Amino acid sequence: MIDVATSLIASVIILMVGYTMAISSKDLIRLLISLELMFGAVFLALMPIFSIESLIAESFVLAIITIFTSSSELLILIGTIVKLDKVKKDITTDSISVGGDVL
Amino acid sequence: MVIESYVFLILVAFAVLSSIGSLITKDNFYSALYMALTLLTIAALYALTNLQEVFVLIAFIFVGAIGIVTVALAAVYKFRPSSQLSKLWIIPSAITALVLSYVFYNNASYIVESGKIDMATTGGYIVLISALVSLMVLLMLSVISISRGD
Repeated sequence: MIDVATSLIASVIILMVGYTMAISSKDLIRLLISLELMFGAVFLALMPIFSIESLIAESFVLAIITIFTSSSELLILIGTIVKLDKVKKDITTDSISVGGDVL
Repeated sequence: MVIESYVFLILVAFAVLSSIGSLITKDNFYSALYMALTLLTIAALYALTNLQEVFVLIAFIFVGAIGIVTVALAAVYKFRPSSQLSKLWIIPSAITALVLSYVFYNNASYIVESGKIDMATTGGYIVLISALVSLMVLLMLSVISISRGD
């Protein structure tokens, strides 16, 4: 038996590492990595739900939905990075303008 | 405290340390490798708590597909390494993490009724999980060695 506080604290630390990385990222690859870290923290935070016996089935559904939704979001970001590189030949965050407008 | 709890704590520490490694490294390629290691360790935590289905989903779909594409992208767009860590944001992030950790530590028993998670108790299973984690670390070290051209 392990304490759920351990997994929740680790989840919070990984989430804050992901936030810090996202805020200070200079290119989109680092932003993608930070997003994946944040989703990893979400997976870790889901773990305590599995300790409630009456919610085991719902926990599996929640985990499956979370994994597939996060994977889809990250695939869209990967596609965006490739497209941005084709259009602007640059993937730094400075090259992104609001709504695609040219500044 | 039984050995499973020690293995759990070691894996949690490994996940946190590799995520910090992902933050402080300058090279995107190494950052992606550390990120993949963090996610695989989180998947190993699920395997340790007898939730093999979630382990398979995280390891094969999230890390196997998305994580590997990220590592490949990071290897392709390999720029001159420059620090991407804003020291200004470390303090507020650390304070937030400390406050939330304190709240979770004191109120974990309110979040779930028992406040405990059942673990896999078979000794052979723990050895298998430990062997797989060691294999992951060896794999990562070999990738680093290959990328350096040693």
